[in-house]
Amino acid sequence: MTIVAQQAINGVVLGSLYVLVALGLTLIYGVLVQINFAHADFVTLGAFAAYFFMHLVGANYLASIAIALVVGGMLGWLINAAIFAPLRQSRNELLPLIATIGVSVMLQNGMLAWFGPIPYAFETPYSNQVIRIASTFFTWQSVIIIVVSTTTIALLYAFMKFTFLGKALRAVSQDRETAGLMGINPNHLIMLTFVLASALAGMAGAMLAPILVLTPFAGTSVIVKAFAIVIIGGFGNVEGTILAGLIVGLIESFTTQYLDPGLIDIVVFGLLLIMLAVRPTGLISERREENV
Amino acid sequence: MSDAAALMPFPARRLLSRKAWYLLAVVVIAALPLVLQDSYWRTNLTVCAINVLLALGLDFILGYAGQLNLGHSAFYGLGAYVSTLLIVKLGVPFWLAFAGGVAFSGVAGMALSLFAVRLRGHYLAIASLGFAVITYQILLNWISLTQGPLGIYAIPPPPALTIAGVTLVDFHNLAAFFYLVAGFTLLVYFLLQQLVRSPIGETLTAIREDDVSAASLGINAAAWKVFAFGVGAAIGGAAGCFYACFVGTLVPDAFVITESFSILSMVIVGGMGTLTGPVFGAILLTLLPELLRNVGDLRLVVYGAALTFVVLFMPGGLAQAAKYLGSKLGLRSKPEGAA
Amino acid sequence: MSIFRVVLAGLALPALVTASMGSAQAQDKTIKIGALFPLSGPGSYFGAQDKQGVELALEQLNKTGVNGYTFSVQYEDSSCGPLPATQAAKRLLEQFKPDVVIGEECSDATLAVMPIIEQAKVPLINAGSSAIKVTEPGNPWTFRIMPNEVMQGVNIAENAYKRLNARNAVLLFENTNAGIGNAKVFNETFTKLGGTILAEIGFGRDVNDFTAIATRVAGLGKIDVIPTYTLEGQGLKITQALAQAGVTKGGGGQAIQLGTIWLPFGFEQKAGNTALGYIRIVQFDPTDQRPVVRDFVNAFKAKYNADPTHINAHSYDQVMLIADVVKRGATDSQSIRDTLAGTKNFAGVTGTVEFDKTNQNDKMDTVHYMETKPDMSWTSLKWN
Repeated sequence: MTIVAQQAINGVVLGSLYVLVALGLTLIYGVLVQINFAHADFVTLGAFAAYFFMHLVGANYLASIAIALVVGGMLGWLINAAIFAPLRQSRNELLPLIATIGVSVMLQNGMLAWFGPIPYAFETPYSNQVIRIASTFFTWQSVIIIVVSTTTIALLYAFMKFTFLGKALRAVSQDRETAGLMGINPNHLIMLTFVLASALAGMAGAMLAPILVLTPFAGTSVIVKAFAIVIIGGFGNVEGTILAGLIVGLIESFTTQYLDPGLIDIVVFGLLLIMLAVRPTGLISERREENV
Repeated sequence: MSDAAALMPFPARRLLSRKAWYLLAVVVIAALPLVLQDSYWRTNLTVCAINVLLALGLDFILGYAGQLNLGHSAFYGLGAYVSTLLIVKLGVPFWLAFAGGVAFSGVAGMALSLFAVRLRGHYLAIASLGFAVITYQILLNWISLTQGPLGIYAIPPPPALTIAGVTLVDFHNLAAFFYLVAGFTLLVYFLLQQLVRSPIGETLTAIREDDVSAASLGINAAAWKVFAFGVGAAIGGAAGCFYACFVGTLVPDAFVITESFSILSMVIVGGMGTLTGPVFGAILLTLLPELLRNVGDLRLVVYGAALTFVVLFMPGGLAQAAKYLGSKLGLRSKPEGAA
Repeated sequence: MSIFRVVLAGLALPALVTASMGSAQAQDKTIKIGALFPLSGPGSYFGAQDKQGVELALEQLNKTGVNGYTFSVQYEDSSCGPLPATQAAKRLLEQFKPDVVIGEECSDATLAVMPIIEQAKVPLINAGSSAIKVTEPGNPWTFRIMPNEVMQGVNIAENAYKRLNARNAVLLFENTNAGIGNAKVFNETFTKLGGTILAEIGFGRDVNDFTAIATRVAGLGKIDVIPTYTLEGQGLKITQALAQAGVTKGGGGQAIQLGTIWLPFGFEQKAGNTALGYIRIVQFDPTDQRPVVRDFVNAFKAKYNADPTHINAHSYDQVMLIADVVKRGATDSQSIRDTLAGTKNFAGVTGTVEFDKTNQNDKMDTVHYMETKPDMSWTSLKWN
């Protein structure tokens, strides 16, 4: 019984980790219907930013999370201004994807040249302190992750549902033309979305740095699963992403327990394909069905 | 130019006739290994040819049938593994195994398309991505069948062509192997061109542009999508077969999901929806990392930058650039939709 | 002119000529070392460290040269994969024309390039691939100075059974050629001795969080040893997770984690208390008191301000072995190959080198055992 309980806890922690990474992707996709392939590299860069801020300046962990947030936001502004905005005119939906692939290659190899390939051990006061409750265990770091991701999600949710900006974002994601007719400037909102999403990515990086194997390639280990979560949850849907992220986390821990860790990707992507066949708009969807 | 020519809706002047282009291609292919005699460059030429094959297959699915396929590496890998396993485990003769690999990939492509028949746009893209991830993981984990990361080694090239015991062509020779792959690729190019210029090509264009309206014209969009996927995937499978017997060592890591993105980049950089585009895109993106070896540590940063800049400033790829140059030289471009 | 001057000139001229010829000859006498290392992608973890070892060795050797020869190196990026390694190897052979090649790290890349380098009749010295296939078939042009998966696996399984009295084990390994291969050897040996393998858990290189795996291991009951085959990044996470789950000594449990070959010195400092009681094979023991090791450690620290890892040590040994071969009279590819094969008792920093008939170094003093003490330092267990 305790194994099941423990793996459930592990799954929720893992899931929160994925949700933190995927939220930004969902936001971007929801508003822009675009995939930023360099998103995971923003996460990695956020982690490195936090690391160096802590080690060079000697700042505390929580301050470095804030720094990573800012770094992420700046990257988001940059990538929108340099890539997504100029390419908005072209009809080809794949061009921004390829451009972001190029950016991803540049970022990873730039980080490689700068930081080197040897993993950095990112220790925080919380990463190894274990809490044991009724023969289950978890670390303070995982508590922080769950708390921060829940808070972030709650704030994001409230932002989207209750503030004017949030509603404007949802309007633009549902129907850009009409939103424009209503006096909302889509371009500013799109910029805001990118900054927000990438700031989230940077923050996720700082939160995850103690858990990740911190090399310039850390992003690639999570990006494809993050895509899967975004789709399973329903493109552009925050609640769906959360649910899907938790489900994927639980799949991972229970597949590890009862099958084999090597099969995790097969199970997750198998689920993805089933979802696409049965319910392509995702677990929870706000969008209208596309005209089939 | 005469008045009559100026009035004609079709190109009145082309740089070379179609037949002349083919002849030129044959001459260039024949000459290349004679000019580049060392094994390093001949290896690069062969890798170029394999990548051209991959790019053509993907371009057919993506550019002509308009299907967002992000998982082409799956067909590449399936072709490589199926043909190799047939040879190594069942002793099947090479060309039969080759056909087996091609057929298996083609069927896999059709299966994916059938599965995803209702999906469009990014949903299809992610479904194909999922398919590629699953395929890679199966190749990796099913060790009893594929050897997984342990790898399959000493895969022989195609058997030599002999007549009455006299060896005509030995495919251990790098130049001979290059001719084989390049020749096959040229043949595929020719067949695709015929396909594209035929009524089938028009059907695919109609589906690509607007498949709802196409349906109203009585076109069975689903069937044609499956067909296109099958053809493109089969071509990818052929590339895989050549890859396996060329490198001689087969490990699943050659077919990770990022390989799909490399192939996609070749198509986009070359110019999606044209046939010549992917050829040059593949050649450029294959040779660029090699030429950049002298740059040292920042080699791949430069590669990523090049990719990004091409997409930003020349979204139609090299084909667009060529068209632009052509128009500057006073040549009319081909009408929309033709190959 | 006086006769004296004529004689003087007569003596001076040939001396001058010989001197100038001598220096021209010294410039011509270079041994070219081709280096096939992964320099891009995740494999650059190895390549970056390999380069450091090579550079240190070259710096030391070229101060005086060996037998009138100096050494030059050309690096080519083989990216740890068969096709890029093939391209890199061909470029190296065609353009640089090395007398000897060192590399690769990953077994599949090494196996892919071996036939090419053999065909060019250039000797290859490998110190990174553990797959038995590299030497077992017996390629006269391929030499391996590091212990292969069979040497290490049989040895550690026997030691676990006999010295540690282990009767059951859980295998944890990365899903790569090296991980699977090494785990397989342990499994076969341990089972043959009478031990039981409770579970074999393989994982991809993209796993970051090992809590789920640690939980599964914890649920298996009393475990004696946990052989772990993984690189330092994931190795650290595994050790921490196992301690958190209370499985290993570092976490208050009783299982002994058996590390192998790939964890560098300095791992303990990163792992902290969770690495307590860890016993592992290392291929380089920086606490070794032999003068050649002490000199190497000091020189490395002076140049790079860091402690050397086994990867640094291996590449250093590769170059030093080449120098030794030159000292024994080799001058070109063929003579290098022949002299290598006849190496007897070469004292490398990783251990002694002497090749058996398949050109595998069979000296077991290259397999060093270490245990992590409570103060995070290593004790050398003199098991070999």
